Amino acid sequence: MIVCVAVVGHQNNPLYIQSFTEADDALKLHHIVHCSLDVVDERVNNPKKSGPTLNETFLGMLYPTENYKVYGYLTNTKVKFILVTTDLDVRDADVRNFFRRFHAAYVDAVSNPFHVPGKKITSTIFAERVSNIVKSFGLSSTG
Amino acid sequence: MANFLAQFQSIKASFDRIILAVEDVSDLWPLVKQDFEERLPFKSVFLNNKTRNAVLVDELPVEYILTTDSRIRSRFPQEQSLFWFREPYATVVLVTCEDLDEFKTILKPRLKLIVQNDEREWFIIFVSKAPAHNDQATKMAKKVYAKLEVDFSSKKRERCCKLDIHGPDASFWEDLESKVMECIRNTLDRRIHFYEEEIRKLSEQRFMPVWNFCNFFILKESLAFMFEIAHLYEDSLREYDELELCYLETVNMAGKQRDFGGIDDGDDQAALLKPGKESLTQMLQDDSFREFEFRQYLFACQAKLLFKLNRPFEVASRGYSFIISFSKALSMHERLLPFCMREAWVIIACLELINATSSHFEDGLVAPDIEQEFYRVQGDLYSLCRTKFMRLAYLIGYGSAIPRSPVNSAALSMLSWPKPAVWPSLPPDASSDILEKEKVILQETPEVKHFGIQRKPLPLEPTVLLREANRRRASLSAGNVFELFDGRPNAIDSSSPLAKGHALSMPRTNSSPGNFENTIDRPMRLAEIHVAADHALRSTISDADLRKSLSSLEYFEQKYLELSKGAADNYHRSWWKRHGVVLDGEIAAVYHKLGNFDLAAKLYEKVCALYAGEGWENLLAEVLPNLAECQKILDDQAGYLASCVRLLSLDKGLFLTKERQAFQSEVVRLAHSEMKHPVPLDVSSLITFSSNPGPPLELCDGDPGTLSVAVWSGFPDDIALESLSLTLTATNSADEGVKALKSTDATTLKPGRNAIMIALPPQRPGSYVLGVLTGQIGNLRFRSHSFSKGGPADTDDFMSYEKPTRPILKVFNPRPLVDLAAAVSSALLINECQWLGVIIKPINYPLKGAELHVDTGPGLSIEQGHGIEIEKNGSLNVSEFGQGEGSEDHETHGPSETKQLTLQDGKIELPDWASEVISTLWIPVRALSESLARGTQAGVAVPQRPSLVEGLRTIALKLEFGVSLNQKFEKTLAVHFTEPFHVSTRVADKCNDGTLLLQVILHSQVNASVVIYDTWLDLQDGFAHATKGDARPISASFPLTISPKCRAAILFSISLDNTLNKDQVEASHPDSILNVCYGISGSRALGAHTPMDVEALGSDDAVRQLEFRSTLVLQRPVLDPCLAVGFLPLSSTGLRVGQLVTMKWRVERLKDLGENSASESNENLKDEVLYEVHANSENWMIAGRKRGYVTLSTKQGSRIVISVLCLPLVPGYVHPPKLGLPDVEAANISCNPPGPHLVCVLPPTISSSYCIPA
Repeated sequence: MIVCVAVVGHQNNPLYIQSFTEADDALKLHHIVHCSLDVVDERVNNPKKSGPTLNETFLGMLYPTENYKVYGYLTNTKVKFILVTTDLDVRDADVRNFFRRFHAAYVDAVSNPFHVPGKKITSTIFAERVSNIVKSFGLSSTG
Repeated sequence: MANFLAQFQSIKASFDRIILAVEDVSDLWPLVKQDFEERLPFKSVFLNNKTRNAVLVDELPVEYILTTDSRIRSRFPQEQSLFWFREPYATVVLVTCEDLDEFKTILKPRLKLIVQNDEREWFIIFVSKAPAHNDQATKMAKKVYAKLEVDFSSKKRERCCKLDIHGPDASFWEDLESKVMECIRNTLDRRIHFYEEEIRKLSEQRFMPVWNFCNFFILKESLAFMFEIAHLYEDSLREYDELELCYLETVNMAGKQRDFGGIDDGDDQAALLKPGKESLTQMLQDDSFREFEFRQYLFACQAKLLFKLNRPFEVASRGYSFIISFSKALSMHERLLPFCMREAWVIIACLELINATSSHFEDGLVAPDIEQEFYRVQGDLYSLCRTKFMRLAYLIGYGSAIPRSPVNSAALSMLSWPKPAVWPSLPPDASSDILEKEKVILQETPEVKHFGIQRKPLPLEPTVLLREANRRRASLSAGNVFELFDGRPNAIDSSSPLAKGHALSMPRTNSSPGNFENTIDRPMRLAEIHVAADHALRSTISDADLRKSLSSLEYFEQKYLELSKGAADNYHRSWWKRHGVVLDGEIAAVYHKLGNFDLAAKLYEKVCALYAGEGWENLLAEVLPNLAECQKILDDQAGYLASCVRLLSLDKGLFLTKERQAFQSEVVRLAHSEMKHPVPLDVSSLITFSSNPGPPLELCDGDPGTLSVAVWSGFPDDIALESLSLTLTATNSADEGVKALKSTDATTLKPGRNAIMIALPPQRPGSYVLGVLTGQIGNLRFRSHSFSKGGPADTDDFMSYEKPTRPILKVFNPRPLVDLAAAVSSALLINECQWLGVIIKPINYPLKGAELHVDTGPGLSIEQGHGIEIEKNGSLNVSEFGQGEGSEDHETHGPSETKQLTLQDGKIELPDWASEVISTLWIPVRALSESLARGTQAGVAVPQRPSLVEGLRTIALKLEFGVSLNQKFEKTLAVHFTEPFHVSTRVADKCNDGTLLLQVILHSQVNASVVIYDTWLDLQDGFAHATKGDARPISASFPLTISPKCRAAILFSISLDNTLNKDQVEASHPDSILNVCYGISGSRALGAHTPMDVEALGSDDAVRQLEFRSTLVLQRPVLDPCLAVGFLPLSSTGLRVGQLVTMKWRVERLKDLGENSASESNENLKDEVLYEVHANSENWMIAGRKRGYVTLSTKQGSRIVISVLCLPLVPGYVHPPKLGLPDVEAANISCNPPGPHLVCVLPPTISSSYCIPA
């Protein structure tokens, strides 16, 4: 289950963060997303390690822990998308697909002339679209 | 083959280096042993690895063992092949012989016997015992050695070497080493080959039923061990890696379920780095090994090799992933393992790994990025360990001591509970423990933060422990109603009636120790779960340190702090700064709790800076109140205030209004308290300001204004400010600096937008932007640098810190704002009351409230009796301004609108309607002139100047206008006044009877038509009217109207009055006076007009006529000119600057002076004439006499030529010098021919003399 998706600006400021848990514990997900920026930074600053994936936007799994997984995606404008999931076996292709759709939604949201670049995304349409993407996550592979 | 395991292990334990067998044929070993062993181990040798590549081995330990040694003897053949690695790598045969025959007969057969085994590598060392000085013996030894070489060495391979005991032979040792190494290499190659073959064979059977991992293991590890002994660690490591892979592949093959292991005492203590902790036989299971022990064993072997390779980083990183994957494996077998075995194992494994790797790791030896990575892994290990440790602590009831921070919640709330087959049950005699735990639970109070912030605590548990534990108990099946019962006495799930009923039926005294016996039947309470878990853990955990850490709350906190610090420190040294800082926050929380506020505040500050720097407000809101509390306790007022302000400036949704009000009241309280050191406060994030939308305020130079600024307050309540001021920054010049504007004194800011008006003193021209907002709350001075862009204060202000480029104020360069001009250009009547028009023309600037100071110059006075009028000047208005808004308005008023104004203290206040339009102010004035007008002789060019200057009057005007009459405009207007006529006379005709017809020409000087009603002439003495009686012209021609600027003439007939009465003459008229009665009708807008005092009477028929008097100089007629002056023509070459020229005048006497006019003067100078040459000294230089007498006969017709040498000075058309005769009246001189008006003077000829090249 995807518990959280986030958009983080190029100055590592949160632009959009949405959790999908029942409990009132969004703060811990904030923490996870925030700390995962360490890994994004590390990958971006050490291109040696990331090697052939240098030019790819999909950063792969950032965080192998026992209980949850964090995936990252870096756009050309250095905006990061972070996905936290509690599914422990997730197919890379699903995540890639998710991020691709998420990216499209993000681009549409920030193309809104009333959106101030670098400010939080407040669009409800974007939120709706994201929650649809989250709901349909993994369905394509299972169904 | 499994039987060999024990043996294999003992061999491994005792065997640690390559051995070489020494076949001591001639009992030489004791003699040479020391020399041989001294040179061990071999340094920098090359060995071939598995892929036959040469590998440099720094140091190769080798041991010489006599073939008679028990360790080599007595081995079974099978053992030998299996444990081949421990067989000698070469046989060194030590021989000596001094006799050739002996060699042939005894030694050679024996040696042949020894070396016949082809399997072995061997070589012979011939030891020569011959002393150096004994040539005989030496020779013999050489001979024997030569024979030996012939017999045993082949072309392919040298197998002999010679050692002279008594002779120096340095090369021998090198020779020996190379031979030994050659043997070792060969043996190693062969054995590798052998093992590989065997392993390959076995591998092929891997998926067959006969497959036995144990056999494979022994072979594989033998090979690995052989490599290890040969110091080929890399190869050894590879073998272990392959072994691990193979094991993981085969261990979980279907149908081969084996025991997992890990159920023995002490198994919780990870054996990650101790390969020999458990013997291999102990982990043997059927034909394979138990996973739990074996995988640890394999990792330990790998770690050992990696440490030998000096790669602690790799140990750590492999270790971390091993722990993670192994932890997964443990969780799969959790049902069989002791309670919380997995958690305990991970904790100990992490700690062990951390200790081992950090002790092997030295900074600076590896690349910086590896170093960072190493610390990152250390940090990961610490935090993993920390998580598991917290989990155990929670289980045994220390949950209240674990801060419910986002970090801990993230780590724990998604981590599932341990899943033992059966949840541990209560030990007997635990009643006192339960009581104690119960007490702790009851005393637990929800965390209340500073400022009374109450938050729903973040979860530390994936599900409710009580439910989970009870569900897993043997006696209760899943789905039992008790599941719904939530445990805490005050947290009963009331939504289910069943549960409610049950809860009510449950004895309230269930904390009493009496109810113990039937714990099996009823669900356990939380305290009981804690005690049971505690008890179970004691039996699981064998590690003394861990046990101690969990034994009491203090020890737990100590360990918790230690682990957090470890993680934070390591993360700080790695890339993962955020992880480090966040964990600093956890450390701070512990210090905070322990009362070490100083350290806590420092750490909290770091955390806050991190979150604030990147705008993670939700997280910041969690930590900032803690920091504020610490600062408050530490009495750090500046910090506390800043924290409060930051709390207030966070997103409004993050705190309740009540909480935000608490922040504000703290700020206000501090601001009004007696602070020892008042601190400046930066409220940029809280109070922002911006100019109002729309164009900037535009001011003319020197004008004050009022600036309206929108100030956004982020305070939840109204806040009273003692003062508020703003600075303006000029955009055009940097050196201008900043100007501070003070606003109204005390202001109260409402939450949200406030419009503040600030009085603006006159500014220098330029455009200005807003600078800084400063002010005071109580004793506190605050500043704000941030600008909101018209919207509500932005929360992401860390990014929007940019100066607005839009100017708020524009002050224009000085320009004319108004113009004053005289309304007419033509002259007004002198000595009469006239309207003086002043056009007041505002130039794009309102003249509201303007005052005009009027100061008349000499000879001019304002007629007090008449009011001052102002009227709108409609026609000018439209054409000059063309401003759409104004023009229509003016049209409606029309040009007719006039208003009476009064002059007070020399100033006039202009009406408001005149502020935007051009208006004309009419001031009644009178120019006074004492002198009478003088008539002139007609035909004589009289310069107008004197009369112009005479009629010129000035009026100084000063207009004060602007918002506070700060603008001034001064102008002095020149106004012309004139007599209505200029009078000139001429004698029109001379009659024979002596009557003269005097023509008086009246030249109208005014721009109005003049009506002459009557004229008469008062004649001077010597003249008389020809017609006795009335001296008026024919009255029928009156009234005579003269159009503006026209002339009219009147003839008077007069005669010379020869009846002279001297007395009378002196008494009466020296001049003739012309009297004219006239009326004038003109517009004041054009010039001269009817004086007002006349106008006032205007309705009467008896129009008051104006009078004009002018003196006329009548001269007795000149009889005849008596002298004529003629200018003789100049030479035709023309005049040139610098060229002398002679000017000539001819003077001729026209009349004989002798008989005429005896009364004339100059009687004694009758024959002399005085002349004078006038010339402009700038144009001419006169070379001769300018003035002098010339003799001229008194006879008629006598003439003389006066010549004067002149030098023209200036080129161009200039007046030539003139000759005057001062003694003769002008009337007696006729000019014939007349002198030229102007002469042309050419520039000097170009002088070439200066242009000659030198």
